[in-house]
Amino acid sequence: MEFLHLLALGFGEALTPMNLGFCLLGALLGTLIGVLPGIGPTATIAVLLPITFYLPPLAGIIMLAGIYYGAQYGGSTTAILVNLPGEASSVVTAIDGYKMAQKGKAGSALAIAALGSFFAGTVSTFGLAIAGPTLSSFALSFGPAEYVSLMLFGLLAATVLARGPVLKAIGMILLGLVLGMVGIDAASGEERLTFNAIELFDGIDFVVIAIGVFGFTEIIENLENVEARGVLVSKLSRLWPTREDFRKAWPAVLRGTGIGTFLGILPGGGATLASFCAYSLEKKVAKHPEEFGTGAVQGVAGPEAANNAGAQSSFIPLLTLGIPSNNMMAMMLSAFIIHGITPGPTVLQSQPEIFWGLVASMWVGNLMLVVINLPLIGVWVKLLTVPYRLLYPAILLFCCVGVYSINNRIFDVVLAAGFGLLGYLFRKAKCEPGPLLLGFVLGPLLETNIRRALVISHGSPSVFFERPISLVLLLATAAMFILMVLPSFRKTREVAFQEEEA
Amino acid sequence: MADPRKAGGTGDRPDLLTAIMFVGIGALGLWAGRDLTMGTAAAMGPGYLPRIVCSLLILVGLVVGGIGFFRAREDIVAPKLRPLSIILLSVVGFAFIAEYFGFVAASVWLLVVGSLADRESKWREVILLTAGLTAFGALVFIVGLGVQMPIWPF
Repeated sequence: MEFLHLLALGFGEALTPMNLGFCLLGALLGTLIGVLPGIGPTATIAVLLPITFYLPPLAGIIMLAGIYYGAQYGGSTTAILVNLPGEASSVVTAIDGYKMAQKGKAGSALAIAALGSFFAGTVSTFGLAIAGPTLSSFALSFGPAEYVSLMLFGLLAATVLARGPVLKAIGMILLGLVLGMVGIDAASGEERLTFNAIELFDGIDFVVIAIGVFGFTEIIENLENVEARGVLVSKLSRLWPTREDFRKAWPAVLRGTGIGTFLGILPGGGATLASFCAYSLEKKVAKHPEEFGTGAVQGVAGPEAANNAGAQSSFIPLLTLGIPSNNMMAMMLSAFIIHGITPGPTVLQSQPEIFWGLVASMWVGNLMLVVINLPLIGVWVKLLTVPYRLLYPAILLFCCVGVYSINNRIFDVVLAAGFGLLGYLFRKAKCEPGPLLLGFVLGPLLETNIRRALVISHGSPSVFFERPISLVLLLATAAMFILMVLPSFRKTREVAFQEEEA
Repeated sequence: MADPRKAGGTGDRPDLLTAIMFVGIGALGLWAGRDLTMGTAAAMGPGYLPRIVCSLLILVGLVVGGIGFFRAREDIVAPKLRPLSIILLSVVGFAFIAEYFGFVAASVWLLVVGSLADRESKWREVILLTAGLTAFGALVFIVGLGVQMPIWPF
């Protein structure tokens, strides 16, 4: 009964007119950026973070979450209609979805994608509601040593599952840790790595780095690559899928939901990885794998269910342990912190309305998205004709005002431009910026807990090995590291990511 | 994205660039934190972890560079300086103009100069867009949300 009571509390929060409004706004914005290529959800959330200062905490968080899962829905629309994934997690949907559209089955593909996503979103939101309280009461027994081991595990896992070379990803994490150390050291009160610049005494703001690396760098990159936009292949026919399509799609949706929910929870996982894995799985279990690439409905249903399930379930480690599993969740973590909420096991007890309100709003938002997506598809497709030269100046202005408004000072804007340049160099050097954000966000948390653990143990590192949970986590981390170095595993991983890019 | 040109010889240029940046930033960190007290594991000084992390960063940089040195040659995708320099210039200019002349002047600078980054920009569009976005920005951000920035220079 307790569970129903809490769920009722959540819906009570989520269904207030204001929270409903921001949920809808987030879902609409998410769909919009999912549809438009050239701006991703990470950059959008970075731009909007400062604006959520002005909103009540729950409303702001609901809106940002809506952007994240909304983008998963929107990305599929353009992937199917014009073979142009507006968002990384829709890359595989484009393969069979576009072929279906060419065959005159665009409506069917869109409906399967939207309904599959809704089903997956419902299941994994429910998973969050069930897993949340269990996991966080477990996490309450964690001491500093367990937290350190868990974060090390999470950071390393993020590199295994990230794309690109592992060593570079580890380097980017370390770089993020260094950036996180800039400012006054909390324990001694001494300033460090500030080069005596007063502006750096409070540390570098997360938004400055995020807007520099994801906002400015992305604009510069998009301007470098002359875009080629597809054209709508066919008129939208009937939206409702045939019975045959349904029969083929539902097992794929179930498998996609399972795989997505699982991968979303894992550190480093999330929507993109989930959709790619679901596609490979569907190809493997299919009776006629040769149909894939020619318009197989399972190739749309599986990945679309998986990316949405993954997007929702990646909130689980953040909300229950306070540990973000990918750079989107790093964004969400700083959104929470902006509002004075430290996500983690204590939130569920001290501010249950935040956790349950967010969970309920996710389900409401998913329902809204089905409504937004199916009847309004025509509107979204029209938006595709807006050229980038009219879009990017607006994004640029939002980025600048957003950075300025954190502390009302121009120093941050100039610093963000510097990070834009750094981010640009990193992309030229083929370094993914995601792990940097993760390192930056987790750095201070990691340092505090390392210090605490070692103070308790009088400086002996054995504290990390003597506590069973911590030991298990460290062994898992070590196993993962060995696996990473093994040539056969590295090969599989490379093949996997090549397939994704193809 | 265009494929990087493949040429004979060895040396993976993106990896070498990575190595230079990792080692450089690590060394900069060590230098900036050279005066910080180290402390002991039980009572860490402010310099304890920065030194460890910076050293690890240098180590990773050296390994990436070492492996990259012997790998088949791969070139860095040639940067296009026009979008890079114009976008950065417009943003830095925005910051300084906002400080002395207020939001409207800064926003006009940002949008007009920023639009030069795309060769396809058309003057008519740029003028209309600038007027619209500047008005929108002033109303929404400064009047509506109360961002602390003067609208006009006076």
